[in-house]
Amino acid sequence: MKRFFFRTLFFRTLIVASLASFFHAHAQTTADVSASTDQAAATSPSDTAASDTLAANDYAENYAFDDAHDRKTFLALTEVLRCPMCQNQNIADSDAMIAHDMRRKVYQLMQQGQSEQQVIDFMKERYGDFVYYQPPVNSVTIWLWLTPVIFAGIMLLVFIYRKKKPQTGDLQAKLARANQLLKEDE
Amino acid sequence: MMKKLSYSILPLVLFLALCFFLYQGLFSDPRERDSSAVSKSFPSFKLPDLMDETVYYDNTIFDGQMTLINVWGVWCVTCAIELPYLEGLRDQGYRIVGLYYDQDLDPQYGTKTLQRVRQEVKQTLSKYGDPYQFNIFDVYRDTALDLGVTGAPETLLVDAQGVIRLHHLGDLNERVWRGKFLPIIAQIQATQAVE
Repeated sequence: MKRFFFRTLFFRTLIVASLASFFHAHAQTTADVSASTDQAAATSPSDTAASDTLAANDYAENYAFDDAHDRKTFLALTEVLRCPMCQNQNIADSDAMIAHDMRRKVYQLMQQGQSEQQVIDFMKERYGDFVYYQPPVNSVTIWLWLTPVIFAGIMLLVFIYRKKKPQTGDLQAKLARANQLLKEDE
Repeated sequence: MMKKLSYSILPLVLFLALCFFLYQGLFSDPRERDSSAVSKSFPSFKLPDLMDETVYYDNTIFDGQMTLINVWGVWCVTCAIELPYLEGLRDQGYRIVGLYYDQDLDPQYGTKTLQRVRQEVKQTLSKYGDPYQFNIFDVYRDTALDLGVTGAPETLLVDAQGVIRLHHLGDLNERVWRGKFLPIIAQIQATQAVE
């Protein structure tokens, strides 16, 4: 009984963990995107309440934008582009030389009238998919989403299968025992 | 009984699989990435010589010969350390061209004058060795960005058709040269021999 309990606990933990990691990964991507847009929205020149965020994004002050919307786009872009030199910093956050240069490039491309997607594509063409925080879904990366689902599915099947079987066995044994008892009474 | 045994082994198998996966991760280099520049043509450029701003270079420098493009700067310590090794390669007959970039020279970031940088370059090259046929000065680091350069030193192998065949991030040493460069060079020479 004790063994059964621990095994069940183990399987349940696995299921919960895999489901949790799956949803966590998703929640994080959405949170990242919404956070970056929030931050970009908060740093409009008219908003003095967000002075802390403004200080963090001081580099944007080096670049003049005629349009407040362009400024937001610039801040959003530098948040979603990853610095290729540093392991896990976006180019907004990093002080590496390459991050400086990439920010300037983003600015230049925007001044040329390129769209957000064009700027991202420009960087991806040079630095690969690594440079953009949103991974592309292709035949290799699809497993990032599929593996947890498949794993959770298998675990669920195992769980259901294991739970059902002893019950039917017990029931039949009990019925046989009952029949036997009835027969004995007769 | 057999069935029960196989079930109780399952967690162990999963655990071992996880161990194997994580163990492999210990030896993977997070900086190791496939460069996007490889097998593309060298991005078009027109840049001055580092030492003489009246001399300009463009993509014709690759015509007809295999070239090693070494991305470097005096501000980079590892670059200075690999200079003697590069000099050895030059003595073996390889053509090495420097792609020089310096953020301090950019009025937007630094305060250095071109005169001072030239002086520092001369000092460094006379101290550690000068493997370069010439140095291209990537003034605004646009070409470095087009190449997907993330820092220095980096070395690119460009064939006689101006196509990038190899992009190495980090310093060039005997191990890298034998393991990464020589096989590709042999390939290039083999196709040239056929033609």
